[in-house]
Amino acid sequence: MTTAPAPKTRKKMNWVPYLLILPSLVYLALFFAWPMVQGLILSIREDGALLTVRSKSEQASSMAGQLPRGTQVDILQRQGNPIPPESVQESNQLTEVWFRVRGMGVEGQLIEGWVPERRIRVRESDESGRPVSGSVRSILSSSVDPLTYLHMEAGEDSEIVGQMEARTTVEILDQATLEVWFLIHGEYENKTIEGWVPSRYISTLGDGTRGRIEVGDTSQFTTRYIQRMVNDRFFWPALRTTLLLIVLIIPAQFILAIIMALVIQADLKGSGIFLYIFAIALGLSDLAVGIVWYSIFTQFGYLNSILQGIGLIDAPLTYLSADTRYWILIAVWLAEVWRATALVMVIVVAGMQAIPREVLEAGEVFGATLWQRVRYIIIPLLRPSLQVALILRTILAFQVFAVVIVLSGGDVMTVLANETYRQYYDLQNFNVAGAYASFILLLSMITSFFYLRAVRTQEEVIG
Amino acid sequence: MTSVTRVQKPAVQVSPEVKAIHRHMLRRQRLGRAVTYLVGILISLWVLIPILFITSMALTTPAEVRAYPKGILPFIPLSTETLEFFLRSRGILPGLRNSVVVAVITLILSTLIAAPAGYALSRFAFRGRDVFRLSILAVRAFPIVILSIPLAVVFLRTGIYDSVYSLALMHTALALPTTILVLSSVFSSVPYELEEAAMVFGCSPGQAFRHVVLPLVMPGIAASAIFTFVLSWNEVFAATILTIQNRTLPAQVLVTLNQSSEPYQFAGGFFMMIPALIFIFYIRRYLFNMWGQISK
Repeated sequence: MTTAPAPKTRKKMNWVPYLLILPSLVYLALFFAWPMVQGLILSIREDGALLTVRSKSEQASSMAGQLPRGTQVDILQRQGNPIPPESVQESNQLTEVWFRVRGMGVEGQLIEGWVPERRIRVRESDESGRPVSGSVRSILSSSVDPLTYLHMEAGEDSEIVGQMEARTTVEILDQATLEVWFLIHGEYENKTIEGWVPSRYISTLGDGTRGRIEVGDTSQFTTRYIQRMVNDRFFWPALRTTLLLIVLIIPAQFILAIIMALVIQADLKGSGIFLYIFAIALGLSDLAVGIVWYSIFTQFGYLNSILQGIGLIDAPLTYLSADTRYWILIAVWLAEVWRATALVMVIVVAGMQAIPREVLEAGEVFGATLWQRVRYIIIPLLRPSLQVALILRTILAFQVFAVVIVLSGGDVMTVLANETYRQYYDLQNFNVAGAYASFILLLSMITSFFYLRAVRTQEEVIG
Repeated sequence: MTSVTRVQKPAVQVSPEVKAIHRHMLRRQRLGRAVTYLVGILISLWVLIPILFITSMALTTPAEVRAYPKGILPFIPLSTETLEFFLRSRGILPGLRNSVVVAVITLILSTLIAAPAGYALSRFAFRGRDVFRLSILAVRAFPIVILSIPLAVVFLRTGIYDSVYSLALMHTALALPTTILVLSSVFSSVPYELEEAAMVFGCSPGQAFRHVVLPLVMPGIAASAIFTFVLSWNEVFAATILTIQNRTLPAQVLVTLNQSSEPYQFAGGFFMMIPALIFIFYIRRYLFNMWGQISK
């Protein structure tokens, strides 16, 4: 560890540092912490899982019960209800129109009130298409009251202000759009629930006496998405491959990185060039690296060209196919070691530079072999750097994505990040994709915790 | 090794045994150096040969790319035909433009937001400094995958989905932790005494910062900005998730990978590597400064 210069304290103006870190705190809260919480919520909360059934056909009335999405219900009755203008045009919504009319009532005086559109035949409209006058329709059935009732307000529930004979001419003063509410009757967990719900949540079946709850208005915590993730046929292969890759990649990377660091630290002439070459991969995109190794392992690629060139094979072998999964694994392994060792190397070199020269020289003077120096001096002193590199590399290994897509075509071999992408992009299951993301988060946290614990325990044993 | 060479000039007559030991050690040292060179060259070949392969694929004719067996000698025939074919493919030039726009916005945003925080971390001892530092380290470690999905859903809801600007916001969040730590180490490399001296001679804190600190940290800030650029340029998962029409170059290549020919793929792979090859060269001096910080 290079010792950083001790931070200077300025006794006054204590708020300055807080002001300086404020923008980054706000940014990270907004684009890091919040999405992470959202991701967790996405994976365990189902939007619209339950539909609240009301005792009366008003949003404000008491709750009669809740029915889950998909329940089959009987529709007993329907009725229009005033709705705020902004929620007109919701999908799946049934509406009815009411008119405010003025005309002669049965008792011979001029009355004014609201009637449903279906009771009025519009005779005249103004230039903008708004009805201005009409007449009351006659009711054909003899069993129903032949009079048409006028209401105080739009909606069957409001007070009746008068009656009109059929064929009365009326002036149409105003109109309102009402949402149809259904009186439904459904069963859930052996309980019968009856009550009113807005039509937008129900899709009617057949003749309109049966329906199904299309979507609810209340969200609910659910393990459905997690179950769907675990039961997905790609989940276990993806998890297995991801863990297998980590187990294969990490040791190879660390051995190679320590060798690289020793070469650079040997202070040879031209070690600057070595450093540049070793660090090149630090800036390479994983997609490009995937393509590089694809050009080697593809059927008519470099590996076959070389093998055939030196006469080891007669015809090109196929490496990247469903029958030769282990070759895909080897290709991904090589590609990842090739690409990501640079990061470990840089951390290790930075750590080595902090080891006092004298300590290393002392080892040399006392005749320690290279292996002994690495094993008993360098690695113990590098432990903090190695720990960080280990955590970083393992967490980054959970995101191996483009390399696998390129080398396996995305299907033959799959990893967790790839499955997240598939759920989101191909299947449009945002919630299941969220579940995958949360699962990767969980794994990352468990591994970090494990490394921190493991390294501490070792120190205690040694110390 | 230096301790060994110091023995080389004996002031007194040395016995033949000591000379023999001396010769033996010198030989061992030379041998060790040769082995180190050999290992270094082998690792360099391991790093360079795949790059050579893809480069020679990209800089030849499409017919040669499809040929089998491929010549091991590169660049025969040398031609820009494959690269031109790639650049003329659908969505590549817009993707290139989008990539540059996203990367530039990302580096500007992240530098502007991170510089004050980096300065605060390096210059002030304040309550919560270590917590801030640690949480930034933790944030640095979290995978892109975890962030992309919820952000995509949020962006969809708020209607800023599929835009280079929202992608730049996401990339800034990714780059920010590293940038803060790197800039903090860059500021730490300028002694506070210089700033103090400037203030003693009558500069205000702002002037001291502008005239003394800023010129000294500029190269470091530039290096960190370059690194941010490369990070954004390379990022493919979030770019694919967050955009549909306005794809960046890697996202475009990834999505069309299955339907595309090998010349297209190889030229694309090579093309995406160019910034890294150039930029890592320029910032190699700062690498340890940057990543050494991470391990603290």
